[in-house]
Amino acid sequence: MSTQTKQVYGYLAEFKNASQLYKAAEKVRDAGFTKWDCYSSFPIHGLDKAMGMKKSILPKFVFVGGLTGFCTAVTLAYVTQVAIYPTIVQAKPANIFTLPAFFPIMFELTILLSGFTTLFGLLGLMGLPRLNHPLFESEQFARATDDGFFIAIEAKDAKFKAQETKGFLEEIGGQNLELIEDKKN
Amino acid sequence: MAHIVTSQDIPVDGEFLEKGKVAKVKAIAGLVAVVGLIASCIFFLINFEKGSALQQAQYSFAYSWLYGFFFCATISMGGCFWPMLHNLSNSGWGTSVRRVMENLGFVFPFMVVFAIPFLFPNVQTALWEWMGVHAEARKAADISLYQFWGSGELAGKLTELHEALLAAKTWYLNQFAWYVRFAFYFLALGYAIYRTRKYSVDQDNDENPTTKNLFAARGAAARYIPIVGISITFMAIDLVMALDYKWFSTMWGVYVFAGCVLNSMAVIMLTTILLRRAGYMKKVVGSEHDHVMGKLTFAFTVFWAYITFSQFFLYWYADVTEETSYFILRNTEHWNTFSIGLVLFHFGLPFILLLNQGWKKNHRFMIAILSYTLCMHAFDVYHMIIPERGPSLGLILNNEAQLTVPHAWWGDLIALVIVVSGFLFFYLRNLTSVALYPHRDPRILESANLHN
Repeated sequence: MSTQTKQVYGYLAEFKNASQLYKAAEKVRDAGFTKWDCYSSFPIHGLDKAMGMKKSILPKFVFVGGLTGFCTAVTLAYVTQVAIYPTIVQAKPANIFTLPAFFPIMFELTILLSGFTTLFGLLGLMGLPRLNHPLFESEQFARATDDGFFIAIEAKDAKFKAQETKGFLEEIGGQNLELIEDKKN
Repeated sequence: MAHIVTSQDIPVDGEFLEKGKVAKVKAIAGLVAVVGLIASCIFFLINFEKGSALQQAQYSFAYSWLYGFFFCATISMGGCFWPMLHNLSNSGWGTSVRRVMENLGFVFPFMVVFAIPFLFPNVQTALWEWMGVHAEARKAADISLYQFWGSGELAGKLTELHEALLAAKTWYLNQFAWYVRFAFYFLALGYAIYRTRKYSVDQDNDENPTTKNLFAARGAAARYIPIVGISITFMAIDLVMALDYKWFSTMWGVYVFAGCVLNSMAVIMLTTILLRRAGYMKKVVGSEHDHVMGKLTFAFTVFWAYITFSQFFLYWYADVTEETSYFILRNTEHWNTFSIGLVLFHFGLPFILLLNQGWKKNHRFMIAILSYTLCMHAFDVYHMIIPERGPSLGLILNNEAQLTVPHAWWGDLIALVIVVSGFLFFYLRNLTSVALYPHRDPRILESANLHN
C-alpha cells in the first residue's frame, strides 16, 4: 500500500459572470488576501485594478536587457573592427567615424536581447513552464477556458483558514465551492 | 477605478472653446501673419540690381520662406493623415480627440496663402536652379510653357546647354507640370481634409445621429489617404529635394512623411493637454488617451530615426558621387555638428525620455517633451533646406560656392515667426469654429471609457 499524503492547495469558487467576478475580486482584495488569482476565459478590462495588482517589473528587466544588448554590440563591433583588427571595408575609415556601419548591429542586438528578456522574464515571473497545476484536479475548473469565472484563494496565504475562507467566498457570491488538494506522492 | 462616462456626461450641444478666450492671441498672430506676408511678397516682387546686397538678401530670404512654410506645411499635412487613418482603420480609441486632428489638418488648405511667394519668378530663381535653366532654354528656342510631359525640343535645347540631367528629367521637372502639381496638392488634399472634417461636423448638428456619417467618412478615407501620401511625397520632392536637381533619394518622401506624422501628433497631444488644463474636454479625454498618444509619439520618433538613418546609411555605404552630394554638404564643418546633433537630440534623447509609461501620462513632462520635439522638427527642416542656400546663392551671385550666407539666420527666424503665426491663426480659427469633440459620434462613449 502506497502512502499518499494530500496537501490543501486552496479554495476554488465559481462566479456567475464577469461582472460578479470583478466585484468579488474587489472584496477579496479589500479583505487583504495576497496569494490568490482570478480565472476567466477572456481578458476583463480593469480587473488588474480590482485585484489590486501592482505594475509588473518586467519593463525594468527589458530596459536592462536592451541596454546590455546595445553595449554588447558597441563593444563587439568596435573592439573587433577598430581596436584589435582595424578592417578597411569599401574605403570606410577604421576609427570612430565608421560608427554608422555598426548601427544595424546595435539596433539588432538591442532588439534581440530586449525580446529575449521579455520572453524569458515573462516565463520566469509566471513560473512557467510547469508540468501540472493543482487546480487541474478540479473537474469544474476545465470551464475556465470556456464559460467559467473562478477565484482561487491559496492555502499559502497568511489569512487562509479553511472554514472561514469558505464562508467568505460564499458570502461574496461564490458558488460550487471546492477544496482543492494537491496530490503529493 | 475612474467613473464610467455615460451619455449623461456628454453635453447635448457639444463643448466649445469660446472665441473670446483666444481672441487676443488669434488677433496678434493674424496681424503678424498678414503684415509679414504682405511685406515679404513686396520684398520678393522687387527686382533688385543684379549682384547687389539687397538681391542677396532677397534670394536668401526665399530660402527662409521655404523653411518657414515647409515647417508648418509638414505639421498640417500630418494633421490630414491622422483623422483619415483613424476613420480608415475604424478606430474607436481616438474619437474624442479626432476633432483636434481634423482641425489641425484643416489648416493645410489655408497654408496656400503662404505658398504664394513660390509663384514669384525671383523666389523660383533663388530656390530652384532648374527653373532658371528651363526658362533660359524656353526663351532661346521659343518653346511653349504649356507642356505637361516636356518635349523632345525642350530636351534637345537643354542638352545643347550642357544640361543632360535636366534633359533626361523633363518628363517630371518642367515648369507647367510643376504648376499643375502645385495646384493639385492644395486642391486635392484640401478637398480631402475638408470633406473628412465635414462628415464629422455634420454629425454634430444631426438631430437623429446615426452611423451614416461615420461609415461614409470611413469609405471616403480609403479614397483620400492615397492623396495624403502622394501630396506629402511629391510636395517634398518638388519643393525641397529639387533644391538640388542633381540629387535624388527614393527615401525622401517617407523621410518627410515621418517628420509630418510625428510632429502633427505632438501638436495634437499638446493641444489636448493644454485644452484640458484650461478646463475643456475633461470628460472625454483622460490619461489613457495620453498613454496612446504618447506611445504614438514614441513610435514615430523611432520611425523617423529608422528612415532617416536608412537614407543616410545606404548612400554612405555605396559611396556613389551623385548620391552622396546631399550628405557631403551636410557633413562639412558646422553642418556636420548639426547632423550628429540631430541623431542624438532628435532621436536619442526623446527615445529614452518617452520609454516610461508614467511619464507619458504626466502633463507637465509631456508639454516639455512635445515642445522639444517640435523644436527638433524645426532643426530637422532647417537641416533639409538651409545647407543648400550657401552653395546655390554663391553660384548664382558670385560664381563661387560658399557654405553659409552670413546673417541670413535673421531671415530664417523672421520667416518662421510669420508662417507659424499664420498657422496658429488658422488653427485657432478651426478650433473655435466647431465643437471640441464629436459629441454625437456613436463611438464617443467607447473612446471616453478607453482602456489600454
